[in-house]
Amino acid sequence: MRGSGTPGKPFLLEVIMRSPTGGAPKFLNLFHIRFPIGAIASIGHRISGVLLLISLPLLALALERSLASEAAFESLRTAVATPWWGLLLLVVVWAAAQHVLAGVRHLLMDIGIGSPLAQARTSAWAVLLTAAIIALAAAIGWLT
Amino acid sequence: MRVFAGQRAWLMQRATAVALLLLVALGAALLLVGPPLTHARWLALATSPHGAVVIVLFFVALCLHGWVGARDIVLDYVHSPPLRLSVLAIIAVILFAVVIRVALTMAAHLNLVL
Repeated sequence: MRGSGTPGKPFLLEVIMRSPTGGAPKFLNLFHIRFPIGAIASIGHRISGVLLLISLPLLALALERSLASEAAFESLRTAVATPWWGLLLLVVVWAAAQHVLAGVRHLLMDIGIGSPLAQARTSAWAVLLTAAIIALAAAIGWLT
Repeated sequence: MRVFAGQRAWLMQRATAVALLLLVALGAALLLVGPPLTHARWLALATSPHGAVVIVLFFVALCLHGWVGARDIVLDYVHSPPLRLSVLAIIAVILFAVVIRVALTMAAHLNLVL
């Protein structure tokens, strides 16, 4: 997209489509990139965000069904008890926990809390582990 | 439309993040405190003026936040302009549809005429 902007006011689509990095060099050979824990927390934030985005229409639908009638409300409950919907819910629970915790970590860093590398690495571990524990607890709760 | 790009997008991502945290905490407090959640209790809570406002605000904030995040990811990984525009358009339509759907659902229960 580099150089596509005309001088003066950018066209709406160009503003939305313009890459924030412009023509910055790219180095994306995954076998040559090391993945420190901060990078894993970061990609976890993205993956969980995408999962939550995909589940968003289902959430709107669930809201509609849950309010529609008592029978529809109960059918949502029974659906959650079945393996596939249960698994889906578990994925959403993990994604929500991961995204919220990693998001709070980023917000805290925005205001200058926890930015030093050692602290950032510790909090990255804490976010990943806590989200995993929450998902595990949800799985155990679902099974029992 | 600068709201959806650049520094304002960054700001909106943070503002909606904080709003979502507060709304989730509020919603969880309302749902978890009190008797077990039955359809009657959920319906009464969700269609009360406060409940309806929380739900609509939650979905609006969720869609705005989702848009900024999705756009960031698409700009990073989808490089062909036509494909990029198509993916962004699909996401925008879906998010818009979600907000409309939720608004219509709540309006129907609140007996509002839209």
